[in-house]
Amino acid sequence: MVTADALRNKEQLYYDDVKEGLALPPLVIGPMTPTHVFRWSSAIENWHRIHYDQSFAIYHDGLPNILIQGSWKQSILPRYLKDLCLPDGWMWKVSFQHRAMIVPGDTITCWATVTHKTERDGLGFVDLEVGMRLQNDVESCPGAATIVLPIRGGRPIPYPFVPPKD
Amino acid sequence: MAETKSVLTDEIRALIGATGEKVEASLWGIEREDLRRFTQAIMDPDPRYWDDEFAKTTKFGGIVTPPIYCTYLSRKTPPGADDPITRAFRENPESDGIGGVDTDRRGALPSIPTHLKRIMNAGNEIELYKYPTLGDRIFSQARIADIKERAGRDGAPMLFITTETIYTNQRGEVLCVLRASSLRR
Repeated sequence: MVTADALRNKEQLYYDDVKEGLALPPLVIGPMTPTHVFRWSSAIENWHRIHYDQSFAIYHDGLPNILIQGSWKQSILPRYLKDLCLPDGWMWKVSFQHRAMIVPGDTITCWATVTHKTERDGLGFVDLEVGMRLQNDVESCPGAATIVLPIRGGRPIPYPFVPPKD
Repeated sequence: MAETKSVLTDEIRALIGATGEKVEASLWGIEREDLRRFTQAIMDPDPRYWDDEFAKTTKFGGIVTPPIYCTYLSRKTPPGADDPITRAFRENPESDGIGGVDTDRRGALPSIPTHLKRIMNAGNEIELYKYPTLGDRIFSQARIADIKERAGRDGAPMLFITTETIYTNQRGEVLCVLRASSLRR
């Protein structure tokens, strides 16, 4: 589990220190419970019954259980990649698909592997293969991302982020 | 074998590029309390979301929100609005909790005129440029970026719909772009 202090004191990952094939540190979340699901529904005002009404989820929608929300999953990969980039890098792009359902009892491992790196305008662009893998090795959210990491001795990454001119 | 008929009609094709009204997604701007509930729900204890003194020392210069926090704001029911839950179940006692709730969402795109009722979230693409800070007002504008026809595993035609929403702040700075794809089958 990540703590506030770990994020406060996070050491910068530099472009110089990554290479193709490198697996970045994973983030493990879970096991998920109905209470986690309910907390998210409440936070964003999502009233869909398949996220809190187990009878409705199973008998009306034919699901195995209440479902962890796609909207929640949508925030988890950006949050994980944000952490990897702190304090001075930038998560620029991420895309992913919603594949396997996540249900209470599941534990999620967010993961990222470097697929390509390139220097543009003095900034380090790192392409990643990313996902949210379940405890049974099923991939729930396969995707790709591009993060921007500082280069040792290089210029700071602009904020707001300005993409390179292609 | 049953004849399969295209579900991508001219009427639906004409909706590609349709743009919704630019609307304010936030009710009262970015608020500390809502941020607390949200960040706890994504289990992100980052002090950049709540510790003013620390946040001032970061490259952001103050409290910020999680990467795509601003994309959820428009789901909230404004005060004074017809209670969406009461309405949904009044209209349909078997409501799934979403039918009837979203119909008058501000800035909404035209609905797709199709008999395909089941909607599945097929994926997302996110681009990030800036985090909102406390007090920022968030605006959004959506458009239908693309609609394609695809065949399901059973051969039945489905619609693959991509919408793009651009989120900006009160100064017109782009915060993030969210592309969401859904399947209708």
